[in-house]
Amino acid sequence: MTHIVSVQQVFKNYTLGTFVVPALRGVSLDVEEGEFLAIAGPSGSGKTTLLNLIGCVDTPTQGVVRIAGNATETMSERQLTRLRLHTIGFIFQSFNLVSVLSVFQNIELPLLLQRSAAAKERRTRVEALLDRVGIREYATHRPSELSGGQRQRVAIARALVTRPQLVLADEPTANLDSVTGTNILDLMKELNRTEKTTFIFSTHDARVWSYASSVVRLADGQLVDRVSAEEAVRAGGVPTAPAARTS
Amino acid sequence: MRGYVDTLKVILLIAFRNLFASRLKTLIVGGIILFGSMLVVVGTALVDSVDASMSRSIIGSVAGHIQVYNAKSADELAVMGSFQMEGADLEQINDFKTMRQALLTVPNVKAVVPMGLSGAMVPAGNSVDVVLEKLRDLIRRQQAGEDVLAGIESQKDHVRQIVSVLGADMANVGKLLTDKAVSPEELAAIRRATAPTFWGEFDKDPLGTLEFLENRIAPLASDADMLFLRYVGTDLEAFAQSFDRMKIVDCTTVPPGKRGFLFSKWMYEEQVKLKTAHRLDVIRDAILKRGKKIATDPDLQRLVKQNSTEVKEIMLQLDAQQTAMFRAKLQKELGSQESDTSKLLAEFFRVDDGNILRRSKFFYDELAPSLTLYRVRVGDNLTIKAFTKSGYVQSVNLRVYGTFTFEGLEDSHLAGNLNLMDMVSFRELYGFSTPERDREIQAIKAAAGLKEIDRDNAEAELFGAKPSESEPATPVAAATVRDADAVLRGLAGRSKRERREDQTYDPAQLGQGVVLNAAVIVKNARLIPQTMKDIEAAGTKAGLTLKAIDWQKASGLVGQFVTMIRYVLYISVLIIFAVALVVINNALVMTTLERIAEIGTLRAVGAQRRFLLGMLLVEALAVGGLFGGLGSALGAGIVAILRMVGIPAFNDIFYFFFSGPRLHPGLSITNVAIALTIVLVVSGASSIYPALIAMRVSPRQAMQSDE
Repeated sequence: MTHIVSVQQVFKNYTLGTFVVPALRGVSLDVEEGEFLAIAGPSGSGKTTLLNLIGCVDTPTQGVVRIAGNATETMSERQLTRLRLHTIGFIFQSFNLVSVLSVFQNIELPLLLQRSAAAKERRTRVEALLDRVGIREYATHRPSELSGGQRQRVAIARALVTRPQLVLADEPTANLDSVTGTNILDLMKELNRTEKTTFIFSTHDARVWSYASSVVRLADGQLVDRVSAEEAVRAGGVPTAPAARTS
Repeated sequence: MRGYVDTLKVILLIAFRNLFASRLKTLIVGGIILFGSMLVVVGTALVDSVDASMSRSIIGSVAGHIQVYNAKSADELAVMGSFQMEGADLEQINDFKTMRQALLTVPNVKAVVPMGLSGAMVPAGNSVDVVLEKLRDLIRRQQAGEDVLAGIESQKDHVRQIVSVLGADMANVGKLLTDKAVSPEELAAIRRATAPTFWGEFDKDPLGTLEFLENRIAPLASDADMLFLRYVGTDLEAFAQSFDRMKIVDCTTVPPGKRGFLFSKWMYEEQVKLKTAHRLDVIRDAILKRGKKIATDPDLQRLVKQNSTEVKEIMLQLDAQQTAMFRAKLQKELGSQESDTSKLLAEFFRVDDGNILRRSKFFYDELAPSLTLYRVRVGDNLTIKAFTKSGYVQSVNLRVYGTFTFEGLEDSHLAGNLNLMDMVSFRELYGFSTPERDREIQAIKAAAGLKEIDRDNAEAELFGAKPSESEPATPVAAATVRDADAVLRGLAGRSKRERREDQTYDPAQLGQGVVLNAAVIVKNARLIPQTMKDIEAAGTKAGLTLKAIDWQKASGLVGQFVTMIRYVLYISVLIIFAVALVVINNALVMTTLERIAEIGTLRAVGAQRRFLLGMLLVEALAVGGLFGGLGSALGAGIVAILRMVGIPAFNDIFYFFFSGPRLHPGLSITNVAIALTIVLVVSGASSIYPALIAMRVSPRQAMQSDE
């Protein structure tokens, strides 16, 4: 199978004043097309940093990140932006919808940025997705008029409208109640199955691991293991870093 | 292409919705822009209109489009707006003919009018002098055998009337102030002149008595004053052709080939007219033309007070018969039994808003025909004495042919304080040195036996060798004096001849000879800057050192007015838009910082930096365009209303600037274009810093922030 994401020996350091804070320490990870991968770990384990590198919104201090065959470390800012626009869809923990645009316009926005689809095609695709995520009747509403779950559905539709190969979701259920969270995960899973879109989502909620095809567990910026959803659920708890375990 | 349009649509949508979402901020920013653009439209429209009106006034009255003078002059030429009596110190241009020919080679030059500007004080004589002169004339005629006894008696009565008016005036001064305020010599003179014996003995020595009256009584009538005349010497025919706003008001222009003087109508009314009558005119015109009220206008109240307290000017003109006539008419008009004519006149001139028009009509219908309304009348000879450039006094007798005005500038002091005279007389008064004059002076010197001597040897040359104490001085001068007498006799005879001959001159003299400057009328006013360069080049080619200045500079301080106003406007606009730039910038920075998450999200989902730049630029330009457009429309509306109503010229200076009693400003597309351009540039500039902030926002921000 083809690797849609290939992360090899990636290090990422952040500098805070004179201190260098390592966020990722030699993480390697391959993700195959069509996977529904969860990145698990406690706060500060490096989940969001890894997602940022995969999402091309950040570059590694060291190591290689390949997205759909593109080596991101050699790409310019413009090329990275274009790669995000055409290859990756984003679902944010806080939904991050444009407040002044309607539901329809929010979903249509990436297509307008792509400038490739005609108005009719854009409408067809947006309406199909509105149906798909079950918010057709809210097409003309503003985000402020929707519930949290409805907003996340809009975010999912926006992430999928460009038919990306990869969708990244950062704690997609963190701001939702458990029922709504479950519904959103059901929706993402169904889209993964029907659209064959690769989903990578970060979470520290053990309940959502069961949806994943596999779970990558991080601790202190290092990859602890990569296990099946069942194994992850069985193991439960917060994983510890390999270094900590060996010591 | 279609994709770009759709993207632009979404940018516009986001921009407008963001603006609407921050209504208060948008309104504050918009308000400043609206005011600024309105100010630019109204301000530039007004300044342009004043500029156009003023250029009409200045170009059409005396300056022409371009003034040309000698580049070697000590001063800069200022045909208007100079507060000096004399003109600027200009180097003469010796041959107008050469200059004119050179200037006419420039294709854009239509006409060249020779000029010279100078000033003089002309003693006008007082009303007592006028009466005494009449009496002296009658006595001479009587001595020559004419039967003019009745006339002499009438004039004697008039003089007695004058003396009694002056006596009463003096008594009033004594009462109001103190007796010490009255000079004992003046009091003695009045007492002598009012004594019956004085008039009883008049016939014994009429000329001696007149001398006493002229020397001791006439100076007591303080209505004599000087006429301050600024005049332009020119080719009057060419002047009238080139300055088509010039219109003759009274009588005629100076006929070609004749020497003569034309009063400006404004000056004629202001300085030559009986002051009481002039003040009455001013009050009436202020009420009729400018809608002012005596009851509320302090200036008019002051004029009314002056008129009612200064009736002496009229009383001195009246003989006994006229005094009685005035008394009867005024008693009837005022319904008064007062027997003192001066008190009746004072009452008559104490006008109010209700009776001013009736009183003014009564004055001109009933009283004015018996009065000398103008101290110098058309047809009189005016003796103008002026200091020449060399410092000696030169005088010329000029006939006053009429009065003129510049159409549309009738009430303007700036346009009205210049009078006109023929160029030949001007040259004489200015004391130009010409080859003819030099030859004449040499001839006089030769006839008088004058020779130049050294300062060191002056005493020896004039008085011979130093005489011994005992030896009397050699009477060298005696022969010279005799020679000088002969010369002076010859000159006297010549002067008489000249006085007659000087009233005419050869018109060819106008086209040649000395001038100080020249007005140039051009065919195309837009080409003035180039024409000025061409004129100077043509002068150089002809061996002349010419300097050309445009009408604005030629008009001196007056011409700088519009430039000054323009600078004030530009500085105001600059300040307003500098404030606007800071305010818009701050508002956009705040908005940008509030939208970091949104901008991060847009970057994360694939928006390039230029998309964000466009979004912020559109927001700024939308506010600028919308409110700038509204402000411009509002400004255009204000200008339209002002155009309809007209802005009144509230004093004579503005009368000149407005080229008439009201300014009806016009709006050009340029005024609106300037406003919109400034607004859009400022709006665009103010979005640069916020755009830089926005472009630095990392897509990571989207991952880190809450909605």
